Amino acid sequence: MAIATDMFRTQATQAGVRKLPLLLQIGLITWRSLVTISRTPEALLPPVAISIFFLVIYRSTLGGAANFLPGLSGSSYLGFILPLSIVSSSLSGAGIAAQNLVRDVSSGYFNKLLLTPISRAALLLGPIFAGAVILGLQASIVITAALLMGLESATGLPGLLAVIGLAVLLGTGFAGFTVSAALGSGSAAATQGASFIFFPFTFLTASFVPLALLDGWLKTAAQFNPITYVLEAMRSLLNTGWDTEALLKGVVACLLLAVAMYALAIFSLRVRTRRS
Amino acid sequence: MSSREIIVENLVKRFNGSVVAVDGISFNVGAGEIFGFLGPNGAGKSTTISILTTLSLPTSGTARVGGYDVVSEAEEVRRIAGVALQDVGLDPLMKSMELLTLQGQLFGASRKAARARARELLDLVRLSDATERRVGKYSGGMRRRLDLALALVHEPEILFLDEPTTGLDPASRRDVWEEVRRLNKKLGMTIFLTTQYLEEADVLADRIAIIDRGKIAAEGTPTELKAQLSSESINITFRDETAVTQARAILEGISDRVQTDRKVLRLYMSRAAETLPAIVGQLQRAALDPISLTITQPTLDDVFLAVTGQRFQGQTTEEAQAA
Repeated sequence: MAIATDMFRTQATQAGVRKLPLLLQIGLITWRSLVTISRTPEALLPPVAISIFFLVIYRSTLGGAANFLPGLSGSSYLGFILPLSIVSSSLSGAGIAAQNLVRDVSSGYFNKLLLTPISRAALLLGPIFAGAVILGLQASIVITAALLMGLESATGLPGLLAVIGLAVLLGTGFAGFTVSAALGSGSAAATQGASFIFFPFTFLTASFVPLALLDGWLKTAAQFNPITYVLEAMRSLLNTGWDTEALLKGVVACLLLAVAMYALAIFSLRVRTRRS
Repeated sequence: MSSREIIVENLVKRFNGSVVAVDGISFNVGAGEIFGFLGPNGAGKSTTISILTTLSLPTSGTARVGGYDVVSEAEEVRRIAGVALQDVGLDPLMKSMELLTLQGQLFGASRKAARARARELLDLVRLSDATERRVGKYSGGMRRRLDLALALVHEPEILFLDEPTTGLDPASRRDVWEEVRRLNKKLGMTIFLTTQYLEEADVLADRIAIIDRGKIAAEGTPTELKAQLSSESINITFRDETAVTQARAILEGISDRVQTDRKVLRLYMSRAAETLPAIVGQLQRAALDPISLTITQPTLDDVFLAVTGQRFQGQTTEEAQAA
């Protein structure tokens, strides 16, 4: 017992100057978030199940009609509609990071963490990174389901990994928003509500037909919707092949969204942790 | 090592520019002391503790914890201070071992050292056999003990406890008291504790400050505070109020302060037992026969009444039990 204390002293207390590297801090908080997320599996499965359900429904109802659309005959409609399914699971997955934060704020554990010498950035990024891991897993499951339904990727396995990468990138951007809501409200209901704000954005876009076939106000809306470019990028990977321009647009759209949302998240964190 | 002292000067906390929660308080807590901050709900106790632990900023005034300024050296204060707030902050989904290990790592210890320390602390607060249960399944007392252990992970030199026993059953309360004393004796830890239980302050604290409506109403050791009143009281009950009036006329000169409460005459003085024979003699000469005659030692409640002009609003521990 005395030995343990001494060891701790030398490593921590005595070395008052020793500060944990930021990456290690983020790693610890991320790991801790993942551990707690794994203890509420009931929050993880429904989004995946719903995504797969939509995939089946869209394909059955629209797959036949798609034969009339240029370049979308047969099984390639699966590759066309799968990204929509993945994006909507990214949306709900992003809520998981926020729900974790809400629980910490309401249990008071967030205050406890604030009283440790770790960086505020780690408190924000930990849950978001954990959310990203979960998103990646969810996207992989949905893609696996699509493969079982006969999906053929034009870019093979690397392309599928790129689709997952895009989903994670997009999801962490959303997470910036839901996390802001969590910090701002400290309420589970408000956070849940905020997650739905992005829901219409998955429809104000080239959801079921290519952007080129849209018309009027919907086309204008879709052109300003970052999700459009993420969908196009994913679709090009699945159906046509490596298209640098489409990919670039998709990544830039994700990054723009992420930058805006993180600015918001940092602001919310400031407000939450402001010593007043 | 820090100075282990707490020095507070003219601390003021105003909310929204108008509500004054803490109104210019000053006090010192010496190294290795247990300092009791006593007051009813809403007196300003929690506000003071949240300033001292760097969770909120003072409107004006200064406070140094362990020699560090709570405003400009908040990071240093967090390193040397341990805090268990009134609302325990524990993630219900985690297990005690995980919480303690993470806390140690966040304070810069290796995983191995943090685990060893966690085991040690779980022993200390007697939770060693509950490490595999989620905290959400713990009882109130267990949670409080785990929260205390969390506050101790980095071996703080100064420990802040905000109402550590509010809402606990008597057995758990005694556990916490014992623990506080042990930490203070064994590690020389300075302990600042707020409480709304007079009994708790009396039993635990080396020194006490009574805070009332944001101001410090009295400060000193429990004995000093009681002595300040110079007031043990002799309570004499008579058959009727006429007798009380007669007795009062005779005895007025003997005591510092006299009070009549229907059939009871209360005489306040510093050495009641020594004066008793003289009182009895005078009553006999006047042929006044008391029904009963008792001596009461002052309590902190009396002190509170004397300094604030009102009965203590906080619940006694028994009342809390009944509620």
